[in-house]
Amino acid sequence: MKKNWKRDDLIVRSLADSYLPIALILGFYVILHGNISPGGGFQGGVLAASGVLLLYLGYGFRGIATALNMERMHRLEAIGAIAYVLFAMLGIFAGYNFCRNILWNSGEIGDLWSAGTISLMNYAVGFKVLTGVGFLLLLIINLLSTEPGHEHDGTIPTTELEEGGDAE
Amino acid sequence: MMLANYIGAIALIVIGFYAMISKRDIIKIVVGMGIVDYGLNLMIVSIGFNEGGTAPIFTFGELVSGMYFVDPVPQALTLTSIVIGACVTAMALALCVRIYKEYGTLDTHEIRRLHG
Amino acid sequence: MSYNVYNVYMHFPVLAIMTLFVGAFCVTLAGKHEKVRNVIAGCAVLISFTLLALLVKPVMIDGNIITYWMGNWEPVEGYAIGIAIEVDALSLFFGLLITIAVACSCFYSYQYMKQDDARGSYFTLYLMLSGGVLGIVLSGDLFNIYVMLEVMTFAAVGLTAFRTWNPNAREAAFKYLVVGSIGSTCALLGTALVYAQCHTLNLAQISAILPGNLNPTTILAFALLFAGFGCKSFMFPFHPIAADAHGAAPSSVSVLISGVFTKTGVYGIIRVCYFLFRSMGLTSVQTMLVFIGCLSMFVCVTMALNQHDFKRLLAFHSISQIGYILTSLGLCTALGIAGGLYHAINHTLFKGLLFLTAGSVLYATGTTYLEKLGGLARKMPQTTALFLIGAFSISGIPPFNGFYSKWIIYQATFEKAAGGSIGYALVTVVCVVTSVLTLASFIKVGHSVFFGQANPELGNVKDPPLGMRVPMWILATLCVLTGLFPDLMLRYIIGPATAAVLNSVGYIDAAMGAGYAEAHLADPSLLAAPQLISIGAWQPASWLVLFVIVLLAVFLCSLLSRGNSARGLESDAKHAVFFGGERAEYSHISGGDLFWGFKHNLRGYLGFMSRVHTGVTNDYVLWGVTATAVIIAYCFVTM
Repeated sequence: MKKNWKRDDLIVRSLADSYLPIALILGFYVILHGNISPGGGFQGGVLAASGVLLLYLGYGFRGIATALNMERMHRLEAIGAIAYVLFAMLGIFAGYNFCRNILWNSGEIGDLWSAGTISLMNYAVGFKVLTGVGFLLLLIINLLSTEPGHEHDGTIPTTELEEGGDAE
Repeated sequence: MMLANYIGAIALIVIGFYAMISKRDIIKIVVGMGIVDYGLNLMIVSIGFNEGGTAPIFTFGELVSGMYFVDPVPQALTLTSIVIGACVTAMALALCVRIYKEYGTLDTHEIRRLHG
Repeated sequence: MSYNVYNVYMHFPVLAIMTLFVGAFCVTLAGKHEKVRNVIAGCAVLISFTLLALLVKPVMIDGNIITYWMGNWEPVEGYAIGIAIEVDALSLFFGLLITIAVACSCFYSYQYMKQDDARGSYFTLYLMLSGGVLGIVLSGDLFNIYVMLEVMTFAAVGLTAFRTWNPNAREAAFKYLVVGSIGSTCALLGTALVYAQCHTLNLAQISAILPGNLNPTTILAFALLFAGFGCKSFMFPFHPIAADAHGAAPSSVSVLISGVFTKTGVYGIIRVCYFLFRSMGLTSVQTMLVFIGCLSMFVCVTMALNQHDFKRLLAFHSISQIGYILTSLGLCTALGIAGGLYHAINHTLFKGLLFLTAGSVLYATGTTYLEKLGGLARKMPQTTALFLIGAFSISGIPPFNGFYSKWIIYQATFEKAAGGSIGYALVTVVCVVTSVLTLASFIKVGHSVFFGQANPELGNVKDPPLGMRVPMWILATLCVLTGLFPDLMLRYIIGPATAAVLNSVGYIDAAMGAGYAEAHLADPSLLAAPQLISIGAWQPASWLVLFVIVLLAVFLCSLLSRGNSARGLESDAKHAVFFGGERAEYSHISGGDLFWGFKHNLRGYLGFMSRVHTGVTNDYVLWGVTATAVIIAYCFVTM
């Protein structure tokens, strides 16, 4: 990147504005249709998390800092993971094995709601990946921002977390 | 047809290992790790391929007898492997940034405080 | 399937794994509240340990094998389509020793990690690592093992790079990641090739289909899986990264990496060699395993003689002990397997203890550099006692646990040599020599850290707080107990695990339904029931009496000579005239000088070894790739 690159460029910002909803909608679409079409929680989550990058391109560090809270994002990621395990544990509570699909006969095959617990677990994965990849992107952006030659207003607190925390 | 895939996969793996062995720049080593990963993914996907098979998606009303799928399990393995590879790359690059800040160089021959 | 209330213990293995993972994420939720984080982590490891301990009765003693199909996806028409968790005595054995080490290290790190500034994610990574390791040993699915291997590697790399104030941490973590990726690559490629042959990933089904089907693909798969798991156990050409990683990581993590992480490699090798390919009957595979084990043993112990850093030295010893385990497992006799497994549990215990004492020294003095330490015995009496217990155990001094397992290993190698293959006598010799060198090396450590003259710079050093001592005492007690009651250990823990190693038919039938193994196995050899005969069993009680008597005698002598000991020499005014007024100078006899003559005579070899371990990442990768290539070539030539 050039040093004197103007961040609040009108064209970049308008494009980011218009692409952001598309990215989010596409991401959530893929997450929701994980049980009946290619893709699923992970792919949709990554698509939706690209919104963080669009936000950064359009509004810079200040925009990200006002819109997103890193700490909260990190916690939401943990909640996604715990939710996944809890949905999987429903099987044990119902008297079957771990990961057992206990709502399996709900809905017609091919419907949006037809996969029972699998859908729920898929949503949990999507949520976890959305927040996890978003957090990872924020970390990387944060890392870049400390390099010389870039504007940095210091509004994003330097995280105390190692990058390894997201590598699962 | 598949033979080309296997040769390509092995070639990619060998190129990746060659990069890891001979390149002194740690970023290039990370690139080598990535190339090994791609070779591996190509290999696994090729293992599950069936000539003329359809996508392994259960869609109603289109099942004709004599129709068959490509094997979905290797595809699932590949997806997992891609995710893991992405994580490895991210982590290795993060470490590279830290190492550069600390040592001021990316040359493996100078990053050797731990030896002997 | 019908609504079936299983025996409740069926759920324990999966719950034990999931508790650790959920704990990891709950720690993240706890955020900045350190107490909450600690409580969550402690609860998670304790619950996990309890769940596994409750399985001892049904699995170890009653001899059941737990097969647990995720989501009730049971095999259809003889094909395992679901993901299984399969716990036999071998898995449970490794699971137990893992959770013990994890629990002790977890409680130790409450106090120990107070020196670090970024503690927020420590327990997240820690519990991920433990969960990954537990997932490997309890899983019944080859690909799940790979995924857990990766989870475990990431967490371990993250923890290695954890100490922000340790300048070497990043370098060590990077080397670890790069060289470790060779192992992961090999394991995944091997898994894919196995899938290509068997069209299943279930361990039990593979073990039924694969043995006896030796074609180029399976041979390649075997070699790759062997190299992959070997890399995770840091066997010979992969050992430098282990030394780097152990040295740079916090001590509580070194315990995990050395005591727990390496065991997954050993476990993987057992599963691959004894179950999946059933290739241990081949002399070539036995020779390969024994050869690699002996090389690891000898090379690493001589490398340890060269070291000047406490933790790096311990790391090399750790790999040397792994060499013992591999050698013993490579013998493919019931006695050998028993010795290997016994040494595995002992290794976890005494290595954990030693790393924790090294951590205590680091905690108290701020350094682990041997030349800077000295005379800590007066100031840290409990740590010294604990170190001595650990050092005696690892050097195989009776009545501590290392003696008994090494005794079995000597016996097993000797038995093999007596049975006709004379070459194994050499293996016995290597084992004994390594043991002697280990003892020498620990004398050096003891001398330069705990005894000898005190370094005046280390003024107000004292024993670590109670929270750190208790886990160490637990490990030390276990070290002594496992040494004192080897018969009980053999009967209830090691025996069932050994039987499980040789009982792959039971493993297959438990998963795939009775009679499956018989129907599918091409070559039903190697199915003999194990005979656990312990020749020349020793009497630990009499040894203990002798040990106590000697200890009392030493104590008495030191009491008697207290009056005219050299201790008061410096402070006593009446001696001052003989010194001509000058102060007694601090002259540290470093551990390196202790074996000066020995090292001087071997300077060619030792210098060569030191020069070869260059610390350049490329070289280590070259070693790893070469080793993999050699293993593949060897397998193709001999199998």
